[in-house]
Amino acid sequence: MQPLRIALAQIAPRLGDLEANLARHHELIAAARDRGAGLVVFPELGLTGYQLQDLAADVAMRPDDPRILGLADAARGTSVVVSFVEESGDHRLFIAAALLEDGAVRHVHRKVFLPTYGLFDERRFFAPGDTVRATPSRLGVGLGLAVCEDFWHVSVPQVLAMDGAHLLVNVSSSPGRDLASTHEVGLGTASSWRTLMRTYAQLTTSFVVFCNRVGVDESLSFWGGSEVIGPTGSPAFVAPMFEEGLFTCDIDLGDVRRERIALPLLRDERPELVAREWGRLAAGRAGLSEGGGR
Amino acid sequence: MSGGRGPIDPEPMFDLPPELAIDTGVARRVIAEFIRGQLRQAGFERAVLGLSGGIDSALVAFLVAEAIGPERLLCVMMPYRTSSPASRGDAEAVVAALGCASELVEITAMVDGYFGAGGVPGAGGADGLEASALRRGNFMARMRMATLYDRSVTWGGLVVGTGNKTESLIGYTTLFGDSACAFNPIGDLYKSQIRQLSAALGVPEAVIRKAPSADLWPGQTDETEAGFSYPVLDRVLFWRVDRRRSADELVAMGFDRTLVDRVDRMVAGAEFKRQVPPIAKLGPRTAGVDYLYPRRRPGSART
Repeated sequence: MQPLRIALAQIAPRLGDLEANLARHHELIAAARDRGAGLVVFPELGLTGYQLQDLAADVAMRPDDPRILGLADAARGTSVVVSFVEESGDHRLFIAAALLEDGAVRHVHRKVFLPTYGLFDERRFFAPGDTVRATPSRLGVGLGLAVCEDFWHVSVPQVLAMDGAHLLVNVSSSPGRDLASTHEVGLGTASSWRTLMRTYAQLTTSFVVFCNRVGVDESLSFWGGSEVIGPTGSPAFVAPMFEEGLFTCDIDLGDVRRERIALPLLRDERPELVAREWGRLAAGRAGLSEGGGR
Repeated sequence: MSGGRGPIDPEPMFDLPPELAIDTGVARRVIAEFIRGQLRQAGFERAVLGLSGGIDSALVAFLVAEAIGPERLLCVMMPYRTSSPASRGDAEAVVAALGCASELVEITAMVDGYFGAGGVPGAGGADGLEASALRRGNFMARMRMATLYDRSVTWGGLVVGTGNKTESLIGYTTLFGDSACAFNPIGDLYKSQIRQLSAALGVPEAVIRKAPSADLWPGQTDETEAGFSYPVLDRVLFWRVDRRRSADELVAMGFDRTLVDRVDRMVAGAEFKRQVPPIAKLGPRTAGVDYLYPRRRPGSART
């Protein structure tokens, strides 16, 4: 048994109100610790709210900002994933997720895929991250951080798992839409996400931890429904939709080893083959050779 | 598919095209939180709306009452002297069902004061006595808007919009009239979906069943005026707008070409009603162009 209690902070951040959101994070980190959580996950832009537009620059922080370090300090004894607007030294703004452990910022993932279509306009306000890396953690297993749309690209969970992640953590601000009554859970967005997360957990034989916010920014309503999926693709926990709360779920990290022995998909991956074919397709898209979907 | 079939009444209350059917439980949840969020972020606890006796405003009244409690809702009934007494009765039935506050503000003096009445010209000039139904209808809608925004101050609540997606898309609204509001909880629902949700919330059956009408003259109904039924119109709009199907694809699906073309023209012709008026770009930062802030942010709430 490698037991781990995961706390999902399914919150409704206040748009642009860093101080209020920071206070809420401190409150919930303390509550999660009281409940024995080893990993606490907050949603995408939980410290700032989602629909920031030109406010993004006003709430941006360096990862060594005292407010982030204050959270890291509060996180001692647990692993905490928080999300905020990160400003780089050259003043690019990123949607970032940070792993806080032992009083320090252990790892920062910058959202790689910025949706700029339909109701989304992220690329106007943010720069995309350039790396997808798993990180070791005090939990004794590798962690893979991703932000929302990153999981609408199959490469991200795959690279994270190949890079050593046993737990794939996706933090989201997913706006609910499409209420057609034919959907599994009455909301097209939620049905799609559930399909994706179960599929990734199974294909990467990893735990998938999904923390999605609730509440309203402008026209958008965020649907919550945070989940933990086991490495067999079966849900271990599903939080209620639209309801704010701190939800905990107990898992056995040993399930990853068992599943990977029984179903050695990662062992059988062919990274050299994939890299070769992607290289060919990338050259094609860049106009350097034939092919590449042009 | 048909909706709202009760155990006693064999006739469904309305036609619900299957592709338009929504999960009403999720819709209620989302809309309630939306209403609460909009009020909270603006620093308000109360809401006010114009209750006509029709289904749209009745549904919004039910939704607001569910979200914040009927004691925080003021429904204003604003009949003109030619408005149908039946509409007034239906509006009163909604108020009685909800137990919310209500007020009656007759707009007759306001409208007649401008257009004139009984052969005596009003403030708008002599030709006002011959004003078209269009002018009169638009003016009435704007007097109701002006009344609601005044009551917004006296009641201390935000004006809640009651326009639906169908009428917004085809432009069957009055700019700065019935479309004016602080926020709109039902503006992304087609008329068929309004009916489905109304049945789920327990809006009085008579309100759901009756033919939609702007009630500008006796016997007027939306469907006879527009020349098509809401379920058909809703389907055309749904496939064209939400599902991005081309006009040719709709004809291949069995829709009438003339109808599809006409709806397309109405939608394009009403684009201006759905958008904030453009500002000539002159300075370094221009509202709506490259000065883009959320409506509600720290400091924006009434204190």
